[in-house]
Amino acid sequence: MKNESTFIDVPAESSSAMKGKAPLIGVARDHTTSGSGGYNRGLAIFDFLLRLAAIVAALAAAATMGTSDETLPFFTQFLQFEASYDDLPTFQFFVIAMALVGGYLVLSLPISVVTILRPLATAPRLLLLVLDTGVLALNTAAASSAAAISYLAHSGNQNTNWLPICQQFGDFCQKSSGAVVSAFVSVVFFTILVVISGVALKRH
Amino acid sequence: MKSGQAEIMETSKGIQKSGLMSRRIAILEFILRIVAFFNTIGSAILMGTTHETLPFFTQFIRFQAEYNDLPALTFFVVANAVVSGYLILSLTLAFVHIVKRKTQNTRILLIILDVAMLGLLTSGASSAAAIVYLAHNGNNKTNWFAICQQFNSFCERISGSLIGSFIAIVLLILLILLSAIALSRRH
Repeated sequence: MKNESTFIDVPAESSSAMKGKAPLIGVARDHTTSGSGGYNRGLAIFDFLLRLAAIVAALAAAATMGTSDETLPFFTQFLQFEASYDDLPTFQFFVIAMALVGGYLVLSLPISVVTILRPLATAPRLLLLVLDTGVLALNTAAASSAAAISYLAHSGNQNTNWLPICQQFGDFCQKSSGAVVSAFVSVVFFTILVVISGVALKRH
Repeated sequence: MKSGQAEIMETSKGIQKSGLMSRRIAILEFILRIVAFFNTIGSAILMGTTHETLPFFTQFIRFQAEYNDLPALTFFVVANAVVSGYLILSLTLAFVHIVKRKTQNTRILLIILDVAMLGLLTSGASSAAAIVYLAHNGNNKTNWFAICQQFNSFCERISGSLIGSFIAIVLLILLILLSAIALSRRH
């Protein structure tokens, strides 16, 4: 069975279009059957695409939050009313964390490419899963703490006398809430990425 | 013939060895789940039983603080309770991992559920942390005052209950890694 499938695959791989990749594929096939290899390669390509989407979501969140500031059109002699993300420490943490997540995702792309080229190698998969889980926690922490603060900015809290600031700074609030939503989208992408890595580890 | 037998012996020994290793991983997983359960249930109870009434009151208002005055803290209690319930239920599957040898499918199931619970617990803990920070320090720019000057022991207790939750987050990450390592071993 093993030999047969190898025979079938060889002419397909060595057609003129695939010639450049042929040696790498040969190395990968050494230690296992080729049926689950194709399955794992499909998973790896899906993983790569999800990473690209997560990069967009994470960087969009960081950029939206980082550029959100609003100056009100009226001012007194001493005071100018303006709000920007660095008035609130939680939003600062959000910007830094989302930038870190975006940077990590860009750096993880090469490892993801390695898993496409060698779909049956365990080490890069395991590395990706370990790092992804850590960054998932960072991403979730940033998104949900910013969500808690934006909820407070929208609704305020009567019991502690914290007044909602969104009645004055409507634009600022909308932008920061949008950034939080985008961060949660990237959390969802990360969750799927971890699950994909787990499934691919099972099928080797 | 003899060499073939030796080979068979060798491989069976290898299988035994890897079986022993994966059993150790399963036992470690079981223990970690119990520890994580006590952490989450502890912080849920600590947060849930916190309330403070100030010793002075006016005619109309009594000054008191409770966890359900703040929605983020309510979410924290619910999230911790849900995760601790999940951890107790997952002990059965962890036990199956100790007993059985072929455990790939249940391990995948546990990875998926663990990741979901990690997300829930992290969001509960960090949103509560954001609110607790605000209660301690307030924010001048937005006119949110620090309430910890009045409600001292309330603030201490809610800060303490965050610790257990964050320890449980670390343990859940370790659990996911253990499952992944067990999956990646050759069978």
